[in-house]
Amino acid sequence: MNLHIVVCVKQVPVSNNVKIDPVTKNLVRSSEPGVMNPFDQNAIEAALKLKHRYGGKVTLISMGPKNFEITLRQGLAMGCDDAILLSSRAFGGADTLATGYVLSQAIKALDKVHLVFFGRQSIDADTGQVGPIVAEFLDWPQVTYVSKITPLSEEIIEATRLMEHMEQTIEVKLPAIFTVRSELNEPRYPTPRNIQLSYQKTIETWDEHSMNLDLNRIGIKGSPTVVRKVWSPSKPKKMTQSLGRDVDHAVQQLLVILRSQNIL
Amino acid sequence: MVNKDIWIYAEQHQQMVQPVTYQLITKANAIKNDKKVVVVLFETPEKNIEEDIKLYGPDEIIVIKDKRIKDAPDSLIADLIAQLSKQRKPNSILFGATVIGRSISARLQAKLLTGLTADCLDLSFEDDLLIQTKPSYGDNIMCEIICPHHFPQMATVRPNIFVAQKTKNNEVTITEVKNLKFKENTNIKVNEERPLLSKLDSIANANRVIAVGRGMSHPDGIQLAFKLATKLGAKIGVTRPLTDLAPFSVDDQIGQSGSSIAPKFLLTLGVHGAVQFTTGIGKADVSVAVNNNPKAPIFDVVDYSFVGDAQAFAEAFLKIIQ
Amino acid sequence: MSIELKEHQQMLHQMVTDFAHKEVKPFDMVIDKQKSYPKSLWNKIINVGLLGLIVPVEHGGADFDAIAEAQTIYDIAQKNASVAFTLEGHYKTVDQLKKYGNKNLQDIYLPQANQRIFGFGSTEPQGGSNVMGHTANAVKEGDYWILNGNKTMITNGGLAEVYLVLLKTAPNELSCFLVDQDMPGFKFGKQEEFFGMRGTPVGEIFLENVRVTNDYLLGKVGQGVEIGDSAHYDARINMGAIAAGICQHALEIVIEYANQRKAIDKPIVELFSIQNKIAEIAIAKQNTQLLYEEAAKLKVQKKLYDKVATMAKSYGSRAAFSACDHALQVLGGYGYSTEYPVEHLLRDARALQIAEGSLEKMVIEISKAVERDRG
Repeated sequence: MNLHIVVCVKQVPVSNNVKIDPVTKNLVRSSEPGVMNPFDQNAIEAALKLKHRYGGKVTLISMGPKNFEITLRQGLAMGCDDAILLSSRAFGGADTLATGYVLSQAIKALDKVHLVFFGRQSIDADTGQVGPIVAEFLDWPQVTYVSKITPLSEEIIEATRLMEHMEQTIEVKLPAIFTVRSELNEPRYPTPRNIQLSYQKTIETWDEHSMNLDLNRIGIKGSPTVVRKVWSPSKPKKMTQSLGRDVDHAVQQLLVILRSQNIL
Repeated sequence: MVNKDIWIYAEQHQQMVQPVTYQLITKANAIKNDKKVVVVLFETPEKNIEEDIKLYGPDEIIVIKDKRIKDAPDSLIADLIAQLSKQRKPNSILFGATVIGRSISARLQAKLLTGLTADCLDLSFEDDLLIQTKPSYGDNIMCEIICPHHFPQMATVRPNIFVAQKTKNNEVTITEVKNLKFKENTNIKVNEERPLLSKLDSIANANRVIAVGRGMSHPDGIQLAFKLATKLGAKIGVTRPLTDLAPFSVDDQIGQSGSSIAPKFLLTLGVHGAVQFTTGIGKADVSVAVNNNPKAPIFDVVDYSFVGDAQAFAEAFLKIIQ
Repeated sequence: MSIELKEHQQMLHQMVTDFAHKEVKPFDMVIDKQKSYPKSLWNKIINVGLLGLIVPVEHGGADFDAIAEAQTIYDIAQKNASVAFTLEGHYKTVDQLKKYGNKNLQDIYLPQANQRIFGFGSTEPQGGSNVMGHTANAVKEGDYWILNGNKTMITNGGLAEVYLVLLKTAPNELSCFLVDQDMPGFKFGKQEEFFGMRGTPVGEIFLENVRVTNDYLLGKVGQGVEIGDSAHYDARINMGAIAAGICQHALEIVIEYANQRKAIDKPIVELFSIQNKIAEIAIAKQNTQLLYEEAAKLKVQKKLYDKVATMAKSYGSRAAFSACDHALQVLGGYGYSTEYPVEHLLRDARALQIAEGSLEKMVIEISKAVERDRG
């Protein structure tokens, strides 16, 4: 079959414990390097499984600052073939629409791509929007929240979409875009050998001149949404009542409370 | 010229309108000021789901009836809404942040080249500007987002963030639209839809929930939690680390990446209270936390606290409700 | 840790830590109780490529250095010491093949080190460290060597398929040969039953007129003692890492327990006697880690590392045992109970004072090295 599969990955902060600097009002991010978005690992695993079964290659793409390279290396260490970092000041401040635009133009610049995988959402922004946006810009069919993949032929893949209360079985004709859930697979560990080799590979960096781009649709300019205000919410201090120190007394009290509120 | 309609996509499966749709209608009515709340409904010709939606008092329901709605892929729905949007130019369009909602809204956003904010915790209007409040980085940061130069302004909201309320005023205009073009799509086919029975009574809809955390994650503790849940008629939810332990899975997770719950009664056992968890439990009527660490952050967000061994508490509680 | 890991070493460290936590940790008690490794666990270890950690890239391996190797052993030892011990036995043997094997032998066997476990045989029934008392031998016959004898107490013996053995080639001369379980004349002997490190098989092999070509001689005739010593020093860095890993494991158990267990209303972690023990365990771990990291650093810098590596094992083996003893005392009845891990940590730690050279021998070596380095 010889598939060229692209996986779009994102680096997210190690922990979500970010604060606002009271003076500059900017985000104070942890100085720890980020990690690969966990759902992207499932996306990479899905791509690698298909590659091992049918032949082809897996290209990673990520849009972000230079320190996103470590996440691309991790993907290479899992077994992907190439990695491209889309990085430029001009891309900065992009919302989902501008991000989706740049990614889709990058994909168009590659040799015939058959499949693009995304994780279902990133755990810092949690939007899950970029996959469908890229699908729309490429005019490809999309299946989101994929929990199972079964190729039916060289051109057709059957995907199971796991939703809140039901499951859909959907057939798509390639090229197509999938966003994947963690139920899809168990991501493999990077092997020590692949880790070593990944550091011998070059990660290509593309900026706004490396692809066909309408400069009005990238970065802040290309972002319809604007963050108007950011603040650390003061946690509403709940008036928490202690049930005491003795466990028997405490459960008695709880029973009384629940009865008085007609819960039991 | 953009008109003053707030559109809400009616999400329905197998004849049931998703609660989030009703929750959005009630919220939109509360914040609309001089605008109209319009529900956009797609259904197969034999259905009349608009009758259910009427009870929540939108100003108008736009109905598209067509047999091709059955098994329509998200991209087709997005295309139909895009056509409607270009015809009627609404101020804003709201979706539930569900699997379907996220998928359609994002595709629609790209078709209309406009802004979409996901997982809003609050919405309000300043004149015609929709103020979208959403959390970022767990719950540590709150952002106000606006889409000042593009229309429609789009937002998604998670189920159970707002409360749905039926209205007494049921003067609703029903508008049937018949002139949309259904794009023929040869590259995607929805073959089958199967309801997942195990998920139909998920924790998101439960009235009583027992949340189990690391502090009660050994097999004895879990067994005890199940006994207690059976006695109380409660469902069990877990924190993220426990989703790897049998018999749990990601479906049972409460919090940022899992379910937001709004039960009448919530008991947390051995839960530390990381933000990724507490984001999901804000709306419980009565919440109780048990943890042997007096500094556990869970104690900041519950009504009643017990500092001590979770297992001992569960055993004692089970005994007195026998 | 005292070493700044390079980015790829950091990635390796993260991967091994994740692997150890998810795949090794659940089996810690099981391995001790069943006195063996579940097959599924070893398959995972092989499939994830850990055997080939120090094998050169051109032979299909990962080519990591002594610092990364020690870090890997430490990360795994924290979850189960036996698994770390087996890997240590494998790595030290592969290391000698890398250093002393000729090209032909390396081309055949280094690639195999990614998949098959290796072991080093030097001890014999009648002598351990006193190598000149050995009788297993190799006799040259034309283009071949004929190998005879038995080697006992081999770490990984019975599990390993490829062995480096020290054989007498003259009354006062030892040489090192490679043998393969597939060779005619090779037989597995008895397996030992040990007090601790119960996952690691330790056993005996018999060589009966095993014929090998000259390619199977490592280094030169008579280099056996040097190769044996080299294997010891390489091993001792990782033995230090195992000791530190056991200390860390004990420390985590103690801290969790001491925070939960109450005595008269407050957790025992607030009692001085417990804090004392926690401090001792933490210092034991820190010291041992500094020693083995220093030895690894020296090795990577191609400086003499024998003295510090021996110190790492000498100090670490005693520190780990003492640390586990403290841990057992803190957990009291639960520490003494076989249903909890502490008692097997103590038994695992005890092996470190014997394996790779007894404590007594360590002392002699360190003293001699100190004299040597005085110049």
